[in-house]
Amino acid sequence: MTEEINQALKREYEAGFVSDIQSDTFEPGLNEDVIRRISAIKNEPEWMLEWRLQAFRIWQEMEEPEWAHVSYPKIDFQEISYYSAPKSMADKPKSLDEVDPELLATYDKLGIPLVEQQMLAGVAVDAVFDSVSVVTTFREKLAEAGVIFCPISEAVHEYPELVKKYLGTVVPQRDNYYAALNSAVFTDGSFVYIPKGTRCPMELSTYFRINEQNTGQFERTLIVADEGSHVSYLEGCTAPQRDENQLHAAVVELVALDDAEIKYSTVQNWYPGDEEGKGGIYNFVTKRGVCHTSAKISWTQVETGSAVTWKYPSCILRGDNSIGEFYSVALTRGMQQADTGTKMIHLGKNTRSTIISKGISAGHSNNSYRGLVRMGPRAEGARNFTQCDSLLIGDQCGAHTFPYVESKNASAIVEHEATTSKVSDDQMFLCQQRGLDPEKAVSMIVNGFCKEVFKELPMEFAVEAGKLLEISLEGSVG
Amino acid sequence: MSNWFGQVLDRADSVNDWLSPKRQSSLALLKERQWPTRKTEDWKYTPLHALDTFESGLPAANEAAPSEFIADLAIAGLDSIDLIFVDGVLQSAAVLDELPEGLSIYSLPDLPEGKQSDVLGDFAAIKPERHLFGLINDVLATQGLVIEVAAGATILQPIRIVSAINNSTEAHTRLQVKLGESSSLAVIEQYVGNDACFNTGVAEYDVADNAQLEHYRFALQTSAAMVVGGSHFKLGNRSRLNSTVVGFGSQLSRVDVDVHHAGEYAEAKLNAIYLLDNNELFDLHSTIEHAVPHCITEENVRGIVADKARAVFNGRIHIHRDAQKTLAELNNRNLLMSNEAEVNTKPELEIYADDVRCAHGATVAEIDKSGLYYLQSRGISRAQAQVMLSFGFINELVDQMPNQILAEWLRPQLRERFANMDVK
Repeated sequence: MTEEINQALKREYEAGFVSDIQSDTFEPGLNEDVIRRISAIKNEPEWMLEWRLQAFRIWQEMEEPEWAHVSYPKIDFQEISYYSAPKSMADKPKSLDEVDPELLATYDKLGIPLVEQQMLAGVAVDAVFDSVSVVTTFREKLAEAGVIFCPISEAVHEYPELVKKYLGTVVPQRDNYYAALNSAVFTDGSFVYIPKGTRCPMELSTYFRINEQNTGQFERTLIVADEGSHVSYLEGCTAPQRDENQLHAAVVELVALDDAEIKYSTVQNWYPGDEEGKGGIYNFVTKRGVCHTSAKISWTQVETGSAVTWKYPSCILRGDNSIGEFYSVALTRGMQQADTGTKMIHLGKNTRSTIISKGISAGHSNNSYRGLVRMGPRAEGARNFTQCDSLLIGDQCGAHTFPYVESKNASAIVEHEATTSKVSDDQMFLCQQRGLDPEKAVSMIVNGFCKEVFKELPMEFAVEAGKLLEISLEGSVG
Repeated sequence: MSNWFGQVLDRADSVNDWLSPKRQSSLALLKERQWPTRKTEDWKYTPLHALDTFESGLPAANEAAPSEFIADLAIAGLDSIDLIFVDGVLQSAAVLDELPEGLSIYSLPDLPEGKQSDVLGDFAAIKPERHLFGLINDVLATQGLVIEVAAGATILQPIRIVSAINNSTEAHTRLQVKLGESSSLAVIEQYVGNDACFNTGVAEYDVADNAQLEHYRFALQTSAAMVVGGSHFKLGNRSRLNSTVVGFGSQLSRVDVDVHHAGEYAEAKLNAIYLLDNNELFDLHSTIEHAVPHCITEENVRGIVADKARAVFNGRIHIHRDAQKTLAELNNRNLLMSNEAEVNTKPELEIYADDVRCAHGATVAEIDKSGLYYLQSRGISRAQAQVMLSFGFINELVDQMPNQILAEWLRPQLRERFANMDVK
């Protein structure tokens, strides 16, 4: 059985093609000049450059974190190129028709509905290719509703007061090593602002792709939902198949003001490296949201890619009655390593959080859940429920759980439970005895295992996530 | 780095006895060790600054402790073999001459030369290197016991080992316990001390195939006392361990428990209780290593934390690649009695084998409001209802203690502690 599964697991990475696109790429290396150059290319105002340089100085004094349950060779930050842009971007396309057809073909291959499909899908897309945002669709339609959805490099020019007010308030420059690095060198990303009382008329979506060799991708996303507003945001990622490891260090900041709601969904499918663990993306991401009074932030993630994942989407429940949610499916196979989870920081009264984490490990991979639930002294009546389940497929993989629970309030209730099991022989027997082949049976069992999380995803994404899982464990699981 | 730690390193060099080869290797490890800070994962929630100002006082010279002091240490109704250390010195060694058949006990300094190489081989072999105070005990413990149970022997009387501090400020005792095949033994470790004492107690238990060990560790000091150390077990094929740890918490109170499943079909049942009040701190770190298939671990930890006290629990279960068919469960439940109290708990699972059943759970909450209401509606005062409910919560584990005489001795102490707890 295990042997069959392992065979099936050795599938190819479908998004592993390289697009032959002329691009401007910086020489590898990192110093203040590189940051000044990035800033100059983006024609940034002085305050933005200052902010970057400040972050860079902080970063230089910080040490790389080593506490995660992953191992990888030390990253040489001087060997990475910090900027790469498709050449045709030099004179920015005014509309979709002007975008390099090769680029559009790339997105087409990836199945991103950049053109007509998105009309049907009703999804507004901001596509980030290497370091720059290529095209943002549906801007006018969104503008009618007062919603701002644009590359963050544009937002710096067009909405400086909003960017100034919120950038770095949730994830400060000195938050952690990779967040500091990102603050110094981030090249693009999305900016979203939903005005008071507005329900964003469509799902917003960003697609990230690393194309160039030896580049790192450092995007920064900032979403501000003003009082009583609502937005659902989707994010997807891929990268070509290369032998070298590439770094992806993104920062996502969410601000949900009073009564606002942000739903953030990710399907992460960066190149995971080959069977021997050669190549692949290092996905070191900082994602955090702040909830003001009665606001709600919901993170849903499906993680199937990356060689090494280090990612903890978190909620700071600052306002009373605010809600944080985290739903995650993390699948590792081959030599992949994932250390992922969430932090729920309960500060306000009657704050609530739910954590559902499903880890699936196969092959020689290691999959860890690492979470923190903190009840502050003022978190009267706060409530948390955490459930982490792990499923092991094969006897060469590992599944780990490291939950931190810190409670400083007597009336707060924290519950954590975790289980680990394998696809049991009984389950397999039952399914096979009903006429399903072993592969279908495993697929059903795993799907059932992840159901609680998939049902949280927006419909189009749920389909994609299901498919991704299916491909990832092709023929045997999914 | 604390002053005291600097002194330890100096002092350790002057300790010279038959254990010196092992002491030297532990000392070498200690010298490389950074003094823990808040960033040290093992000590994240347990600050050691009390040791910064701690005045070292070497154990007083061989001087018999007052008899009333020793009389106070007795447990009523318990027929046990009592070995009492006061200020690190073994009192009334006469008991060693009349031991039941199959049991041998030696005082560490008086170990016959013929036995020394065996004990030297076992010393610090079960206790993992990572424990800071374990290493400190390695280099400083000149007093202690070597206990051996012959194969097949069943020792009916429990052995009670008390490490008490009366006049001096610190004591470092060591137990090396070895159970032969199919033998059975009960050991009670008791740490007692005055207000300003510092006590490290380390015990290593080698439980051979089919043997059974019943174990208790009581650290019921409070206020400014500091008591650290740990009990470390290695379990052979089909052996059984039943361990109960009870702590009241103090300025610094930390227990490290390690269970190493080295033989198949072994079973470990671990219970731990902590009751904290005032500014006290109690820290329990347990690590269960499942290195072989078919073993069972069941761990239940419960605590009540009142006033400004802080409880820390870290329970790690590590299932190695070969340990298929393992059953391991860990449960930590906490009652918080005040908004200034704090619980930091971290149950960890690290699993490398697929055919296992593992689960852990942790909860932190206050006393059930509807339960309180129910009792109050029956005319019971709120304070009394609170004591009843919290006592019941803990008593479930006390009831599970195999030795009910010990349970009887423990209950009034628990009850007194509940009654004094600040109820909000």
